[in-house]
Parts: sequence; C-alpha cells; structure tokens
Amino acid sequence: MDQSEIDSLMKKGDKPASKKAPKAGAESALGLPAGTIAPDDPQGHVISELDAVTSVTERETNKVMDQLDLISALVGTQQALITGVMRHPGAQDPGVQEAINQVMAAGKDIQNKVYEAMDLMQFQDITRQKLERIVHHLRQIHDYIVDLLGTGLKSDGERASISRTITSTGTTPDEKRAHADSVVDEFKRSHNKD
Amino acid sequence: MKILIVDDSSTMRRIIINTLSRIGYTDVVEGEHGKAGLEKLGQGGVEMIITDWNMPEMDGLEFVQAVRSQNASIPILMVTTNAAKEDIVQALQAGVNNYVVKPFTPDTLKEKIESLLG
Repeated sequence: MDQSEIDSLMKKGDKPASKKAPKAGAESALGLPAGTIAPDDPQGHVISELDAVTSVTERETNKVMDQLDLISALVGTQQALITGVMRHPGAQDPGVQEAINQVMAAGKDIQNKVYEAMDLMQFQDITRQKLERIVHHLRQIHDYIVDLLGTGLKSDGERASISRTITSTGTTPDEKRAHADSVVDEFKRSHNKD
Repeated sequence: MKILIVDDSSTMRRIIINTLSRIGYTDVVEGEHGKAGLEKLGQGGVEMIITDWNMPEMDGLEFVQAVRSQNASIPILMVTTNAAKEDIVQALQAGVNNYVVKPFTPDTLKEKIESLLG
C-alpha cells in the first residue's frame, strides 16, 4: 500500500486511490517490464510478484557484489601502490614507515570487511528459498480451494517460474534444524560398524 | 584442483567461488542445476564437487545419485538450506561425503574442503 492509498483510506468514506496503469515500456517499482503480471489472474499475480521479488533481489545482490569486488580490487591496487612507496628512498624514515604500515593494516581491515559483506549476501539465496516455500504452500491452498469448489482454474502454463524448484523441500523450520556435523559423524560411525 | 560448483543461485555460486579463491582454489567450473553439473563433469578434470540441493531441472540429490552411478570416489560436499536430520541422512545415503548448512562461514567451508581432500 502506497502513501496515496493510505491517505485515501484516512478520508472517511473514500475508496483507496487506484494505481495508475503503467505506461508502455515503463518499468514497475520492482524493475520489471510493465504488463508482465496479468491483472485477471489472482494466483499468477501473487506468484509473479514473489517471483519478481526473487529475480530482482538476485539481480540487485549481484550488483552489490560487483561493487564489493570493485572495492576489493581498489584496495588491492592501493596496497600495491603503498608497497611501492615503502621502497622509495625518501620513505625510509622510521616514522614514515610506521605510518605506511598503519595504512597497510587499515587496507587489510577494509579487505576483510568486504569479504564479510560478500559472505553476508547468502541471505539472498536463503530468502529466495523461503519465498519459494511460501509459494508452494499458497499453491497448495489454492489447489485445495479450487478442488473444493469444483472449478477448473488450475493451469500450469499460468504458473510463474518460481514454482520450478520446490516440491517438498526448502528451508528447514527452526524446530527441525539438526546439527549437520553431529548427523554426519553419527552416519559415518554407524556405516563403519557395518 | 578443479572444483565443480552446482547451484541455481548465481549469488551463491559467486560467494562460494569467492570463498574458494581466498583459500587458494581458483580453478572452478559452474553449473546452475544437476543436468548442467553432469555436463561439466563429463568434460573432465573435476576433482571435487560442491552442490546445492534445491534446484530446477535436476535437484542436488538426483545429481549426487547420478554422479555416484558413474564415479564412486569423487568428493562431494552438499551446501544447502535443508537442515533437518532426515535430509542430511538422505544426502549421505545418496553419496555425499559431507554436508554444510547455509549460511556458512568461510572457515566452515575451508574446514570441510580440507577434510574431504585430506
């Protein structure tokens, strides 16, 4: 819900302002071409929206990764330049050498933080799989209702690509999470006995 | 040491490649699902596999089973969000040598790889 809709709701008796139809060639807020989501297909709409979220976050995460790669390369260049300066006859003063060492250490800290930030980008894949699990459950509910009503609204062709991954697996609920190392050790021990 | 990474998430493949390069493994090939992984494996030279589980076309479990039907010895590390005990056991029964749950730290990945290459 955007601000105009909230404002409309706040006005007693008014209906929320309808969203303007996207212009031809324009992009949605998610960065997808306008008109990619069929308005008369409620199931496809929700799934397509979730599909769009995963596509866009993956694309944007890769852009962040590009920037981090760039920062990493720039730090590498800076370290190489400073190493050159260290060897310069004019930089042999102990005070200058100490300052250069501090700059080098700070550069290494930046590099490590860049690596940590890259590792944190795993959230994107984990979030994607959680969304896929939600879509899977939504579809089950949808199919159940359709079966209950006896209508023939199910259409595989209308289903978005997000459905491709999940059948019965996905992210594991916290209460079911096991300690992988313990399970692996236990499995190997039991197989070594056989 | 050529390592095959199979994961449908380009972000995750990139993170794994980045981690590998920091611990000294730079010869990497990629596949976005099990079928692509089998193709890359067929091209030869791969000495270790890191695979996801939840993927389109052919998932990680089917991929591991297909690999094991033709290669009993190549080390396989599964890196996935599936963390239930029955999933881990199922993967081990299919033929993975070790198992890492996402999100992982570079140290965990390094430890698992080094223990597999022992």
